[in-house]
Amino acid sequence: MSDSEDKIDFAMVLASSVHDMKNSVGMLLASLEAVIEEMPPTNARQANLFNTLHYESSRINGELIQLLTIYRMNSDFLPVSIDEHYVVDVLEEQVARNSSLMETGNIELELRCDEDLAWYYDLDLVGSVVHNVLVNCVRYTKSRLILSADIEDEFLHIRIQDNGPGYPDTMLRSPTDLVDKADVNDGDTHLGLYFAECIAKMHKQNEHKGYIKLENGGELGGGVFSLFIP
Amino acid sequence: MSQINYQKLSVLVADDFSSFRNTVNGMLLNLGVMHVDMASNGDETIALCEGKSYDVILCDYDLGHGRSGQHVLEELRYKQLINANSLFLMVSAEASRNIVMSAYDCEPNDYLMKPITGRMLEQRINRLLTQRKVFSEVNDALKKEDFDSAMTQLVDMSVATNRYTVMAQKMLGELFLSLGEVNKAEKLYTKALEVRQLDWARLGLARVKQLQGELDTAGQWLDKIVQDNPLYLPAYDVLADNWEKRGDGEQLQSAVEKAVTVSPMSILRQKRLAKVADDNQDVRSALAAMRKTIKLGRLSCHGSSDDAFMFARMAARAVESNVDVPHTVAGEAMEYLHDSQKQNEMSSEQRIQCNLLQGRVHACTGRRDKAQQILNDSFDLSDRGKIQFDTDLDRVGLMLGLNDKEQANELLEKLQRQYSGDQQALQKLDVYLDEPASDANQEVVASINREGIDLYADERYDEALTCFERARKQFPKHAGIHLNIAQALLGKVKAGDYADDLERECSSVFEMVASLVDKKHPQYSRYMRLRRKAVGLKIHIHS
Repeated sequence: MSDSEDKIDFAMVLASSVHDMKNSVGMLLASLEAVIEEMPPTNARQANLFNTLHYESSRINGELIQLLTIYRMNSDFLPVSIDEHYVVDVLEEQVARNSSLMETGNIELELRCDEDLAWYYDLDLVGSVVHNVLVNCVRYTKSRLILSADIEDEFLHIRIQDNGPGYPDTMLRSPTDLVDKADVNDGDTHLGLYFAECIAKMHKQNEHKGYIKLENGGELGGGVFSLFIP
Repeated sequence: MSQINYQKLSVLVADDFSSFRNTVNGMLLNLGVMHVDMASNGDETIALCEGKSYDVILCDYDLGHGRSGQHVLEELRYKQLINANSLFLMVSAEASRNIVMSAYDCEPNDYLMKPITGRMLEQRINRLLTQRKVFSEVNDALKKEDFDSAMTQLVDMSVATNRYTVMAQKMLGELFLSLGEVNKAEKLYTKALEVRQLDWARLGLARVKQLQGELDTAGQWLDKIVQDNPLYLPAYDVLADNWEKRGDGEQLQSAVEKAVTVSPMSILRQKRLAKVADDNQDVRSALAAMRKTIKLGRLSCHGSSDDAFMFARMAARAVESNVDVPHTVAGEAMEYLHDSQKQNEMSSEQRIQCNLLQGRVHACTGRRDKAQQILNDSFDLSDRGKIQFDTDLDRVGLMLGLNDKEQANELLEKLQRQYSGDQQALQKLDVYLDEPASDANQEVVASINREGIDLYADERYDEALTCFERARKQFPKHAGIHLNIAQALLGKVKAGDYADDLERECSSVFEMVASLVDKKHPQYSRYMRLRRKAVGLKIHIHS
């Protein structure tokens, strides 16, 4: 046996400990939501604290899912199962998953999707992209979010709009290039966008490939995240 | 959407964390569910399901030590403790359903990712129960084996445009295939593929081609499917079936090996690999796969004492015939036999088999007296009543392990008479006989021999040898095949292709034949004739 085989595969160790962490954060979130339900905040300060707790643990949860998924993508062990699904199902589920987070943050979330709209995609992967973007928007929006979906030129277009300050210029120019140049001290590695783009790209149909787009403005005058699936 | 009567539902929640169980219980109570049972591990879950049937089972994938949610699901299906109208939801902290599940043998109705919220749970249960309602008549018809009714309903549902269309199409395709309605299945899958190249429809069409006997076409399509989506497990199983149908053992093994790489936790695929490798005389791979099967079988309902027996037979055969395997396999086999005696409930038949196999392993590790004692004891047992064929074969194995050829042959002759009408039994006997007793194997030998003899007649000696070698691999004790090899080797020497290793090969073939035939054997005179020919060609033969 060579030396290299004796060495620990750090990526694998990391992946399996991320897996454990995700379990713990899941428990943390579930207990937190139970606490909020049993003991609703009685003043603004408490509401604020709950909000922070809730938001930060949701964010950790989302990041851990991303890490695991990216690890599997890199080790070619991420099964993609594309089938026809009702779009409203995946959106409703993410709204339900984050409903408590929206409430504690006092954010009004509007869902716009035709009940009969069906498209071809991987349910879990697209679901986790929507989830991450929603959690991220909670941090930046002022008070409103619109989650919508429709078909545009043979692409499913899922859009998340907020009324926050919008995406910074650097991100608008080349959203996913930033992953490589990410400044860890900056506090945001833009891993979420990289993740979203990878998942978009996994969806192919004929010569078309999925992609993401960031804009400012939209109906609410804030950031607009778009996911296009062919 | 909320015409579901929650009060009537019975739900089982299984998770190893009490806080999670309580949280989910609270959510269910909020929905109006009155009957919620809870379990904290796999065994408890199964025990509860044995006593009562639930409408919905929410089972965590990770149940701590012991069996996982997947083991629970496997066992519930295997023991038929859940039916098509109950829902099994696998709860997991994993990011994607397929990651956990692609590794196994059966699938739950749906997956829920932690953390779960009350609203998520409500939405999901609503959706699934509504779907269950929509399909309940179809499921009832299938259960009663009223396939016409199921088919008519599914046809209607699969042409409608709603959220049940795709599921109806998938079910209809499966139904068509299982009923042999190949052309209808072909139409259905082709139509689905007009819209999108979806894996399930591509696989369906490949299965159609397979059933139509177009194995080459089916194979090409299957290769394309796994190339496009290397983690799409069901395609590997069909690919393996395809090679099996084409009679290509090597390719079959490589397809099952790929399936096992993608799904290392699937006990049924490991078992298949062990069997396929064993058939291919690939002892090392067979032992490795059987070892994994035994390990996985400790927690799975598909594990059984027979797995340990199978390992012992393979290991003993390997040691007896000097195959290059680690010398520890005999001890390992003994350990497995011992474990299975301790852990599993065995039938009296299995107990005898286990003893005989222990004897055989003793014999091949030099403890002849112990082995002999076990053999002697087994005679008392067999006097008591009818003994099963497989058990008798293990007695043959033990006799041969003790080098008691006379007794073994006696028993083999008796078995050949006793099972003369049972082709399956005869095929199993063929391994021990000089010449195959079953029709199928006689035909195999005959056809390989015909092919080889034609090649020999054309003086294509190397090709003829390859052909006879293939037959020898399958029937190592067939004197006729050995002599064919000798004849082809002599042909090569005569054609001027002389080499030392050719002489050695020739010599060892004659040695083998000498141990197989005596003066009364029908091949004896041919053996003597070829020997003389060899001597005439100045080939040195030992003994």
